[in-house]
Amino acid sequence: MKKGHTEVLYGLYNDEEILLDAVRQAKKEHLDIMDVFTPFPIHGLDPILGLAESRLHQAGFVYGATGTCTAFLFMTWVFTRDWPIIFGGKPYWSVPAFIPITFELTVLFAAIGMVVSFYIICGLGPGVTNEVLDDRITDDKFCLAFQTNGYSEDQIDKLKSFLTSTGVEEIGAKVI
Amino acid sequence: MSAIVSPVRKPLITGNKTYHQITEDLISPTEKTPNALWVITFLMSISLLGFGLFCIAWTIWNGIGTWNLNRTIGWGWDITNFVWWIGIGHAGTLISAILLLFRQKWRTGVNRAAEAMTIFAVICAALFPGIHVGRAWVVFYFFPYPNTRGPLWVNFNSPLLWDLFAISTYFTVSLLFWYLGLVPDFATVRDRATGFRKSIYSFLAFGWTGKAKHWQRWESLSLVLAGLATPLVLSVHTIVSFDFATSVIPGWHTTIFPPYFVAGAIFSGFAMVLTLMIITRKVLSLEDYITIEHVESMNKVILVTGTMVGVAYLTELFIAWYSGYIYEQFAFFNRALGSYWWSYFGMMFCNVLSPQFFWSRKIRRSITWTFFLSIVVNIGMWFERFVIIATTLARDYLPSSWSYYTPTWVEIGIYLGTIGLFFTLYLGFTRVAPVVAVAEIKSILKTGGDQYVGENAKHHHHVKHDVNEHAAGTSIDIDENPDTKIK
Amino acid sequence: MNTDHATIDHAEDIKHFVFEGKQKTTLLAFIVLGILCMVGTFFIDSNRFWTNYLHNAVFFLGMSFVATFVLSAFMLAYAGWHVVMKRVWEAFMLFLPVGLIMMLLVIVGLWMHGHHLYHWSMDGIADPTSPNYDKILAGKVPFLNKYWYTFGTLIIVGIWTFFAYRLRSLSLREDEEGTTDYALHQQMKKVAAIFLPIGAFTSAALVWQWVMSIDGHWYSTLYAWYATASWFVAMLALTILILIYLKSKGYYKAVTAEHLHDLGKYMFAFSVFWTYLWFSQFMLIWYGNNGEETVYYNLRRHEYTILYFGNLVLNFVLPFLILMRNDTKRKYGTLGFTAVIVFFGHWWDYFYLIKPGARLNALHAHHGAGHGHEDAAHGAGEAAHGAAGHAAEHGADLAHAAGHAVQEGTEFAMGFTIPGFLEIGTFLGFLAFFLYFVFNRMEKAALMPKNDPYLAESLHHHV
Repeated sequence: MKKGHTEVLYGLYNDEEILLDAVRQAKKEHLDIMDVFTPFPIHGLDPILGLAESRLHQAGFVYGATGTCTAFLFMTWVFTRDWPIIFGGKPYWSVPAFIPITFELTVLFAAIGMVVSFYIICGLGPGVTNEVLDDRITDDKFCLAFQTNGYSEDQIDKLKSFLTSTGVEEIGAKVI
Repeated sequence: MSAIVSPVRKPLITGNKTYHQITEDLISPTEKTPNALWVITFLMSISLLGFGLFCIAWTIWNGIGTWNLNRTIGWGWDITNFVWWIGIGHAGTLISAILLLFRQKWRTGVNRAAEAMTIFAVICAALFPGIHVGRAWVVFYFFPYPNTRGPLWVNFNSPLLWDLFAISTYFTVSLLFWYLGLVPDFATVRDRATGFRKSIYSFLAFGWTGKAKHWQRWESLSLVLAGLATPLVLSVHTIVSFDFATSVIPGWHTTIFPPYFVAGAIFSGFAMVLTLMIITRKVLSLEDYITIEHVESMNKVILVTGTMVGVAYLTELFIAWYSGYIYEQFAFFNRALGSYWWSYFGMMFCNVLSPQFFWSRKIRRSITWTFFLSIVVNIGMWFERFVIIATTLARDYLPSSWSYYTPTWVEIGIYLGTIGLFFTLYLGFTRVAPVVAVAEIKSILKTGGDQYVGENAKHHHHVKHDVNEHAAGTSIDIDENPDTKIK
Repeated sequence: MNTDHATIDHAEDIKHFVFEGKQKTTLLAFIVLGILCMVGTFFIDSNRFWTNYLHNAVFFLGMSFVATFVLSAFMLAYAGWHVVMKRVWEAFMLFLPVGLIMMLLVIVGLWMHGHHLYHWSMDGIADPTSPNYDKILAGKVPFLNKYWYTFGTLIIVGIWTFFAYRLRSLSLREDEEGTTDYALHQQMKKVAAIFLPIGAFTSAALVWQWVMSIDGHWYSTLYAWYATASWFVAMLALTILILIYLKSKGYYKAVTAEHLHDLGKYMFAFSVFWTYLWFSQFMLIWYGNNGEETVYYNLRRHEYTILYFGNLVLNFVLPFLILMRNDTKRKYGTLGFTAVIVFFGHWWDYFYLIKPGARLNALHAHHGAGHGHEDAAHGAGEAAHGAAGHAAEHGADLAHAAGHAVQEGTEFAMGFTIPGFLEIGTFLGFLAFFLYFVFNRMEKAALMPKNDPYLAESLHHHV
């Protein structure tokens, strides 16, 4: 998020169900929602907002498959080409013995890959700070925010009355 | 998630909480200075830890000869403790991951603390392979890195190495999963904090704001991590069991070990979670979030897994006879009647007999009984590993090699040190982070809070849209009212 | 893709199941086919008949046991999502006494020496003076004998039947008399709680008797858990297929893609769990390289290769790859297809468990005094255990020799090396019989439990 140049008009709600109705209403009136902030994930919100399904799963599959191949091929190379040693009378390419490590590395790569991807695409990480519209959002308030850069007084008033009509508790404006 | 809740479900959050009250109750322990009880317990733990560190230094300096390992008992308290700690660490991921997949909502009361417990238990466990090798200063040889000794690779065929990968993976994934859950909660702490605390928690919260898209990805990631962590948690203790089962030693080489070890790990892990939660809920006044329902559910898991462990014991005994294999038969005679008979009976009493008390509803719902039995279970699981390891090794194939083993003060000291480490970390955790998953509890308030569910549920028939008089999270009808359907 | 949401809010809205004449005729036709195949098999090779019969009887009886077990477990785990379709599982569990009667034929055959399924049932197996004497099986005779087999089966399956019928009668009573204090539900939970440990212990004993003892010299402590997991996945697959079929007929509108998605997840997860158990057993035996144990896998890997690898492809590779994605579990076509594969796959698994050993048992019975195989295996066993280092190679040599001695009885035989048309026909006959029974029972009660406390949750289930 660009810092310092976004004018935001936001409404704080007391309850997620009221928020959901408000978002539904906003979508009906074709208002341009900037974002919705909540203290916990709200079920049913994503389809209303039209959020596309996350592609982390697919990425995870790829990361995992990388782990599988890395582990299996590496062990194969070590034990068949680089330094073959007979362990316990087993063949050099002892596939059953490779399975546990292959599995573990699949899980490890998938997990690390997905988690790191998650933080990167969300723009989160150690030391990252984002402007918070209101400290109570992580407590018990549900926030519906509109970007109002270049909006006229009239438009802003329309937004305010929209928010009031949907049962908002507080309205605020901020530049972040 | 359906807003319809069965009338037989019991509330998971009591006390008529609002979202704000949840925040208050769960975050305020991190904001207050610790009380005397905490300080005393912390000092005791640190002392134990200190003594343990001394014993470890003593071991590394003087060598493994300071332990009583011998031929043929090459594994004693060290590996017993290792397996014991790893087993304990299983509950966390199970609660977070498997119970998430099974949509058992009661997990939210205990998952954060259980996951923390997992991480601390794995740290304690990982200590033992590190220090039991003798040349602890080259313990990095375990890792397959390109080196100038050939390169000499590690033995990928060895279960001991599979252990290394399994435990590292388990630790990493558990840590990532735990921290993922903590990020929104740290944001809550951050937004209430001021000054230096604010900047610390701001750092820890990674800039979390609660955007809808972020929550969507967060939930999606939690589910996938749960889906990954489930086979992972099964694989870790399975691979630990492979340490024994891949051998040809009677009493060790048996195919039931993988699922039996996993069941036993869950068994001991839940017992430890209960031990910790019973203390925590009292000290931090969290009885509204870690209710008797939670305790009862965990006791049921203990009953189930304890019975599974019992089934496995009986199976081993029976098949030992059935196999006709005299060495296997002897291994079991020896366990029950040999020089370590006391550990076998300790194991049987603690693991098979004591969880049967949980058939009684009264006992399942009694805090005192639960606390007592949870400790008994963990003692039993320690004995189980000791029976498997020391008893079996004391009497294997060659009678002229039969021996006996008792630990030295150094080994006992290291074990006490890990207990000290575990409690030090846990006590630290309770001060620094919310012990219960704040955001997750809020998300189940409407389907688990006692104002909506159970005997005290209030019923209102209309939701007003001018709801300024309602505090957040109160009195929303969950009965079928088209105005309020969450869809 | 079917994504209909619940349009039914009251159980009375559900169509009552009618077992139509056309369905009955089709099933009867397959039952007749099955009978014809069994008769044909009996005259071609009686061993083939008996192994087919045991295979199918154990397979379907096991599925009804697991249905009882799973219903009980779900009830105790506060599960609500499945309630809308629990009558299907109730119908499965009512099959228990029928399965018991089916096993009676095997038991009668045991007493009359009509079959040679079990080497341990031969006369004189424990008598050192008898030509049939087998030292290893003699040690097992206190458990592996006709009495234990007969009374164990009768009493244990009888106990299961008692619990299943008790649960069913309480469930039906709940439809009629259920009140909002949910007293009947609490009673059912008590019955379920008592049944679970009993079922767990006793099912292991029967699996050992019915299936594991076919490979009489061998043993595995994991075996019962593995066999039960196989039954469980098969039961899930059949449930999915029945639900999809009934939905196509207009029943079970309240069973939505959400429920089927969950069943698909269970099928996926437990296919992976089954594979984990398969691998655990295999890898430990492979790693220990103990001749007494590896002989089991050697036989199957080398002489029954198609069975061996086919088992893994059908029950792991295919369901894993197909069901991994979220959307395939919501497409009835793909889900149904995978269920067919997996259902057949676990039937195949039991074929793989039973046939190789049973075939050798029949050979022993026919060849009476020929002990080459057993002695060599003995030697392999003892040598393998004798000393540390050389034992593995030495044992392997002897086992190899034993392998040669057993060359006959391992060459290709239709109906043993792979299932033939007669096996498929028999299977279809048993399946049709099972379905006939299940549909008949489903006609006897409302398709949805009326007063179950979790019904509302189940009707509005969203994943």
